[in-house]
Amino acid sequence: MHELLLFASVPAHQHHELLQQLAGLTAMQPRHRLERRLIFKAYRKPGLINTRVGASQDLQGNEMQRLNKMLNGGMFYTQVVGPLDESDFGLNRSSAGDPDAAMSGTEELPTNGPTYSYENQPWKLEFRDIPEAGTRSAVTARLMASSSLPKGDISTPMTAWGYSFVSEYVVEGDIFVLDDIVIFLHRVLNYPTEPQSHEPRRELPPLSDMVLLERSGSYVLQASITVQDGGNQEMMKTASQHLFGLREQLKSAVRLEQADRLSLDTRAK
Amino acid sequence: MSTPTKDQIKALEQSRQRLVQLTHSLASLIASLNQSDPLPSWPSLQSQATILSNNLLSISEHLSENQPLLSSLVAYPGPDFPGRTQAPTLEQLLRTKLDPRVEDWVARGRRRAVPDTNSNNNNNGGDGVTADNDNNLSEHDLAELWHWAPVEANREARQRDWGGDYTLEERQGGVANVVTGLRRVLDDGEDDLESSGSSEGEGNEGQGEDEEMEVVGVRMRPGAGAVAGGGGLEFDIATGGAHGASAVGGEDGGVGVQKVVAPVVPLEGILRFMTTGAQPGQR
Repeated sequence: MHELLLFASVPAHQHHELLQQLAGLTAMQPRHRLERRLIFKAYRKPGLINTRVGASQDLQGNEMQRLNKMLNGGMFYTQVVGPLDESDFGLNRSSAGDPDAAMSGTEELPTNGPTYSYENQPWKLEFRDIPEAGTRSAVTARLMASSSLPKGDISTPMTAWGYSFVSEYVVEGDIFVLDDIVIFLHRVLNYPTEPQSHEPRRELPPLSDMVLLERSGSYVLQASITVQDGGNQEMMKTASQHLFGLREQLKSAVRLEQADRLSLDTRAK
Repeated sequence: MSTPTKDQIKALEQSRQRLVQLTHSLASLIASLNQSDPLPSWPSLQSQATILSNNLLSISEHLSENQPLLSSLVAYPGPDFPGRTQAPTLEQLLRTKLDPRVEDWVARGRRRAVPDTNSNNNNNGGDGVTADNDNNLSEHDLAELWHWAPVEANREARQRDWGGDYTLEERQGGVANVVTGLRRVLDDGEDDLESSGSSEGEGNEGQGEDEEMEVVGVRMRPGAGAVAGGGGLEFDIATGGAHGASAVGGEDGGVGVQKVVAPVVPLEGILRFMTTGAQPGQR
């Protein structure tokens, strides 16, 4: 699968306005989204032998070659993404004893304490390639793949697969969908404290304690289209035309642009 | 006088071509300045300037290379030159003196090129005034200035973070606390700028210049009424502190009270963090 992207930086003061503009444009209410994102980095295990040594005669399909390259060639940063709910975060210390504080929580667990259960956290593995170089169209295009992972503790299987945990953060934002374009207006929250151990957290701090990565509170607007068959130039072209259409529509509000390729470089050095 | 050789004609032809190139690039610069609205971006202006200076460089190189030839060449009309119909061209070619306008340019250029003689009396009217202002410094002073400037500029530069609109100190203290003194707010609520609660007195000078000084409030010092200059003013310096108030919670509700703050971390930094976990600012 391929992903076509445009990005824009949205200053905090424009956020509310833009939310409404997007709601109007897409004719839908924003869907709030909270995500835990864990960054894993591949490392080459000692003793791992590349099975494809020497000249192989059999020609592989394009996708197969890509997959092989992905697995054996370069090493990449990979993200493990887990959806969160606001009730997953620890409660505010000020309202810890207040039964009303659990109002927004899930129905089945109206407890006072943090309801987050690491064991039941669903995960998704998201692989993103470095954006394609030298594409003439002004969109960021990259190979992507994602798949579901087992629930719960994820660092053990990831370690077994040759990934080491790097860091994690939380993404907070709103999603809109316009035709085939997914618009994600989001920002990054960091955990207030350094982790004790070098693995994903098992408990989450109160949401209000999370620290903004961008301290002025600005958001990132990401417009993306997923193209199933990235080899189909016609499809890719249509998709980027759609993105350009959106860019034109939002021109007066934000400037959607291609991202700096190296800032999305997922290759692990 | 013999007819010019092939090489000589080639040299002449080359100078003609280079001059044509120069006029072309000048014309395109003028056209872009005249036509584009808003004015062309800095990069394009700079690239055009580079092209021009390269053109000039190649011309001057070429001219100095062929100086003996060019200074010894004389133009005269052959018998078959259509002098009647091409009179202006003929005059132009046979002219030994420069065009008065061009003469002015050359004179100005010569004057600039002459090493400073500390004479500031140019009788050429308005155009030379600004140009000669910097010639007031003597050779020695200039050298001293050049010696001093890089060190000093470097020292100053080290104290600053060149990332954006805020200084390092301001950023360390939390951008949300910086009171820029600018009135660019979403609504008319200009009092919202006063975040640290100091009352803004009547002696509020230099609103625009406070931008980098973290001066939150300016007021007349009691009892120092009519002191001249800034002596009677007190400055409240913003204290660095938590920005937590506006951090995560429901700031979306109160749009009217929000300040216009440009993002500190560039988009690239955020994306890089999201991709690899590299903290912005450390590469």
